[in-house]
Amino acid sequence: MKIFHESAAYHVSGKAVYIDDIQVSDQILNGYLYTSPYAHAKILKFDLSEARKTNGVSAILSYRDLPGENQMGPIVHDEPVLAEKSVEFIGQAIFLIAAQTEEAALEAKKKISIEFEELPAVTTLKQGIEQNSFLQAQRKIEIGNTEKALKETKNTLSGEIEIGGQEHWYLETQVCLCVPGEGMEMKAYASTQNPAETQAIIAEVLGVSKHQIEVETRRLGGAFGGKETQGNHVAAWAAVLANHTKRPVKVRLQRDEDQKITGKRHPFLIKYTAGYNDEGLIEAVDLELFANAGYATDLTMAVLERAMMHAENAYFIPNMRIIGKPVKTNLPSNTAFRGFGGPQGMIGIETIIDIVARKLQKDSAEIRFKNLYGIHDKNITPYGQKVENNRLFMLYEQLVKSSEYQMRRKDVERYNAQNEFSKRGLAMTPVKFGISFTTAFLNQAGALVNLYTDGSVLLNHGGVEMGQGLHTKMQQIAALEFGIDIDLVKVNATNTSKVPNTSPTAASSGTDLNGMAVKIAVDKLKARLAKVAVKKLAELQQGLNFVEEDIVFEKNAVFSSKYSDLKIGFQQIVNAAWLERESLSATGFYSTPGVHFDRTEGKGQPFFYFAFGMAVTEVEIDVLTGQHHVLRADILHDAGESLNRSIDIGQVEGAYVQGLGWVTSEEMKYDTKGNLLNHSPDTYKIPGVRDIPQIFNVKLLEGAPNPTTIRKSKAVGEPPFMLAISAYMALRDAVSAVGNHKLEPDLQLPATNEWIVLACRKLRNMLMC
Amino acid sequence: MNHEILKTSEIRFLLGEQEVNIDFSVSNYKPTTTLLQYLRSLPDRKSVKEGCAEGDCGACTVVFAEIKGNALKYKAVNSCIVFLASVHGKQILTVEDLGKGKHLHPIQEAMVEEDAGQCGFCTPGFTMSIFGLYKNNNEPEKSDIETALSGNLCRCTGYRPILDAAERACIYKGMDKFTGKEHQIFQQLTEIKSNKEILFLKTEQNQYYLPFSLSDLLHLKKENPHALLAGGTSDIALRVTKKKENLPLIIDISQLDELKTISKNDNIMFFGAGCSLEDVRIACEKEFPSLFSILSVFGSLPVRNNATISGNIGSASPISDTLPVLMALDASLEIQNIHGKREQKIEDFIVGYRKTTLSSDEIITRIKIPFQDKNNILKSYKVSKRRDLDISTVNAGFMLNINNRGLVESIKLVYGGMAAFTKRATQTEKSLLNKEWCRENVENALKNIQNDFSPISDARAGAEARQLLAENLLLKFWNETRI
Ligand SMILES: Cc1cc2nc3c(=O)[nH]c(=O)nc-3n(C[C@H](O)[C@H](O)[C@H](O)COP(=O)(O)OP(=O)(O)OC[C@H]3O[C@@H](n4cnc5c(N)ncnc54)[C@H](O)[C@@H]3O)c2cc1C
Ligand code: FES
Ligand code: FES
Repeated sequence: MKIFHESAAYHVSGKAVYIDDIQVSDQILNGYLYTSPYAHAKILKFDLSEARKTNGVSAILSYRDLPGENQMGPIVHDEPVLAEKSVEFIGQAIFLIAAQTEEAALEAKKKISIEFEELPAVTTLKQGIEQNSFLQAQRKIEIGNTEKALKETKNTLSGEIEIGGQEHWYLETQVCLCVPGEGMEMKAYASTQNPAETQAIIAEVLGVSKHQIEVETRRLGGAFGGKETQGNHVAAWAAVLANHTKRPVKVRLQRDEDQKITGKRHPFLIKYTAGYNDEGLIEAVDLELFANAGYATDLTMAVLERAMMHAENAYFIPNMRIIGKPVKTNLPSNTAFRGFGGPQGMIGIETIIDIVARKLQKDSAEIRFKNLYGIHDKNITPYGQKVENNRLFMLYEQLVKSSEYQMRRKDVERYNAQNEFSKRGLAMTPVKFGISFTTAFLNQAGALVNLYTDGSVLLNHGGVEMGQGLHTKMQQIAALEFGIDIDLVKVNATNTSKVPNTSPTAASSGTDLNGMAVKIAVDKLKARLAKVAVKKLAELQQGLNFVEEDIVFEKNAVFSSKYSDLKIGFQQIVNAAWLERESLSATGFYSTPGVHFDRTEGKGQPFFYFAFGMAVTEVEIDVLTGQHHVLRADILHDAGESLNRSIDIGQVEGAYVQGLGWVTSEEMKYDTKGNLLNHSPDTYKIPGVRDIPQIFNVKLLEGAPNPTTIRKSKAVGEPPFMLAISAYMALRDAVSAVGNHKLEPDLQLPATNEWIVLACRKLRNMLMC
Repeated sequence: MNHEILKTSEIRFLLGEQEVNIDFSVSNYKPTTTLLQYLRSLPDRKSVKEGCAEGDCGACTVVFAEIKGNALKYKAVNSCIVFLASVHGKQILTVEDLGKGKHLHPIQEAMVEEDAGQCGFCTPGFTMSIFGLYKNNNEPEKSDIETALSGNLCRCTGYRPILDAAERACIYKGMDKFTGKEHQIFQQLTEIKSNKEILFLKTEQNQYYLPFSLSDLLHLKKENPHALLAGGTSDIALRVTKKKENLPLIIDISQLDELKTISKNDNIMFFGAGCSLEDVRIACEKEFPSLFSILSVFGSLPVRNNATISGNIGSASPISDTLPVLMALDASLEIQNIHGKREQKIEDFIVGYRKTTLSSDEIITRIKIPFQDKNNILKSYKVSKRRDLDISTVNAGFMLNINNRGLVESIKLVYGGMAAFTKRATQTEKSLLNKEWCRENVENALKNIQNDFSPISDARAGAEARQLLAENLLLKFWNETRI
């Protein structure tokens, strides 16, 4: 039976409550920001006295008014809640305003007097590299002897590729509502992927203990990593204002504000040198990855690390050196975004392979296939982890057939020979994505399961529902484990007072971690119920031998596998347990076994397992306008034994299309001062309904259970994002057709129509010369 | 006209089945409060979401039912770029209206069953866009569904399940709980609209006029020369939502049925200034395919449903999508003030960056497009980053006439996005006149484009790409019309 998204009926009828929909008293105030107009400046002086007199304005606060610590950085404490002596990016918060209306706040803003002294700013990644503006020391991962191998190899190539950032564009902008309680209590309704961290930061900023702060998150209107740490900021601001005014305060960023001031996917610059033989086997790769961190650390080191750990993607490279350097710039601090550095990491090696194929005049799929990780050998990653349960060959074989790759390659060639101003491109790319937080301690989760005497179940767990269907899967797991109907299980809003000290819902790990925690809690309750069942069954039918080990939970009933005719209803057994004074509430706690990573050595076992996928994408470009169509995409993705096919397919499709945006239309443009030019959907273009593949075949790999996870499933949130790299490679293929595949296309990422048309011209001009 | 008699500061409309009166002299709303802000201020209309407040995401989509001729017509619109004052005489529907007791509407059911919502934030908007389709098209093809969803962004799903849900829902051929009630709604709206006296909505900071006849409109414009005209408000509403301006004085022309007619004689097709771009699009498909094709990639369906043709011309934006092709078609405007009419070619009407020849007491009343000489070849082009719901980087309208000697008899190459206003590439045109329409000549001619224009770099594209695109569009035009 198909299980629909647990909130679906609410979504379609407008009953799903998001934070901005919560009904609050008339006492509510809205919080607004006064932000920096400079990428880098000293704050010389300011005066808020006039502004504070504005009608309808209840408070204007500067850093001097903060009751606790002026810091909201998640790992390194380098992000002030409100700027003090200087500002380090355009859009940095300096003052907070609590007002009844936006008009009042705007009026007050005009009356704020502040003087800056502008300082030199680093507004691009390249400037940062030139000026040695690094956030921390570089990191390194190496296998084999790269330098030596590069000297000995037959062919080498080198170059660099610039990868742009990406705005999350969750439909629901950052928002938090804080309601003060008695004493120092504060309840925050926060749109955050990390309620526990939001709680911690509010506590620090208010200077109170965590037990005073309750963070509740019902659902997010999209997040994609953009609310892993960035949700903390609005929460801190709302909390400070609510604490000061002793009234409920909501801070909701408007779209342009959100796009201007929050962190995005890290732009990268990749410098590469690669050595390969005439067969196309890659023998050595030397990579330098530069990540544009923005002004503060945030999650940059983890993102960079994941990029480094995915720099070889699905390929065995015997000699590989990967250097990662975090570059500090005067831009908003970049952050998590689906794939978390993985996509940027993979672009390097995929580009290398693309170039190798062109140099050798071979089909790129052939080169990719040759270099895939092996099953029995050639299966050690640069960081020393063995690639186990490798699904790459299964995927390749099935997908080459189902996508009719070989035939379509010929069709594409024929089409290109016949058309001067329209070209097609085709590419197949694999994904191997490591599952686990690479910061080992984060791999833990908790759950609290309550049984009520009517047999209904209330499930609390540490994960956040942001559309990925986590709550639905948790509900399914609880129902399956209890053997009851799904509607007997309700999943509560995520709440720090129910399950404390949780990890963010990120790294695709939500189901793996929380699912196990739920199961563990359910198992505890089942053990208690089984004890009661043995007693009750024996009372029903004397003389039979009932033991707890034989008790089965199935179809809303409890029985012994030995005497399956004799059943007690689930509700009855719960009620009986209550009368027997058994606890009907249990917590579950899970931590992933065995994961570790040594940063100084660059070696370890950072991942519990790998998820795999493969995609074939065909595109058509208009050589004269640079506009493109995705004609067809065939995807085969490995979700283990899927917990919910429809939800998993939804993740694959959604991730792929989001990836399409990253590689094609989602370009961030800045002026020299560091102003983001496209800060609204007017100029920032995520894919629309007509941008998806005209033929879109998405399948999950069958018959490949994951041995060690909850119900043999696999994480599916992030890995399919990188399947869209096939579209970028297909675009390169199409552009390169302009030069008859003899010349290297100069194509940026994202390959917008602007870059495509310029790249095509370059090739046309070179052909003419 | 005497202001004393303009007392009504009240508008009337239906919200679901409920009639609502808003008296701006006492309410907290302004006439320029957006419909989105108004709906979100109500306790039971929270389904209507704000994703952008600029018409670019569809999270705020609602459906209007309104009287058109003698029928009730449904259309999806972006409530974030509609002023509350302009909903007078309409029925507003949101997802809260769709279900019946515990039962979901067929569209809602299909959305649930296809897992068409993930985070769900976009879902009400999509549902209403599909509802607009459902009520208008009983057998939609895939492209109709895509058009219906062209104004909605979803960041989670990748759209496939939403397309499937739309297709699945439409098997009911538009039948639903609203079908039986249309007559009654029609009557109620007719009664509201029976008042033809100017509505004058006044608050401390705003004056907003809603006239119902052309003569009233012309009088009002004469008396209030500084009043801003509001058509579909898709341009001016952004001044409120984005630039945070207060628009103190507005004359809204959207209630004038007189300005919404489309007619033709042997030589000319006439479009009322107040016609929505979608109405124009549908009406011009056969007669002016070049206009039709540019309108098909203009904004999104919800934007076109409300935005007017005169608004696109009147805003005189350098990247207006209709201007190049209208100029290529040699279209002209009928312009009126209280004293009479004048006519002017659109080419002469636009005189600078957002500058026209319109005087402060004038309004555009009709757009006149002449039927073309059968030898005229017309094409329109729009280059943008994204296919739907994007503003042009460069756009163009081209007209070519080749005489019986095989030479270029006349040619018009009109470009948008290349200068401060929509302009012809006169030197390039000249270099092609009386020449053979062959690749060599075209390639030589396009070198002149750099003399015709010096484009700028902005958030959409760099100057280099613009220059190249302008050249390439001419080559493309040649390629598509080569003999
Ligand atoms: C999301 C979105 C997408 C868009 N996409 C496109 C696009 O693809 N291509 C494009 O070209 N534009 C686009 N636009 C811009 C805008 O929608 C168009 O210019 C539209 O045609 C304006 O019409 P309107 O009726 O909404 O104008 P309004 O906002 O009502 O008015 C615009 C201007 O025209 C004047 N005006 C209106 N009617 C008259 C009249 N009868 N006589 C004299 N002056 C008049 C007004 O005074 C005002 O200055 C888009 C806008 C939005 C918000
Ligand atoms: S809120 Fe985005 S279109 Fe209205
Ligand atoms: S379901 Fe999240 S934006 Fe569409």
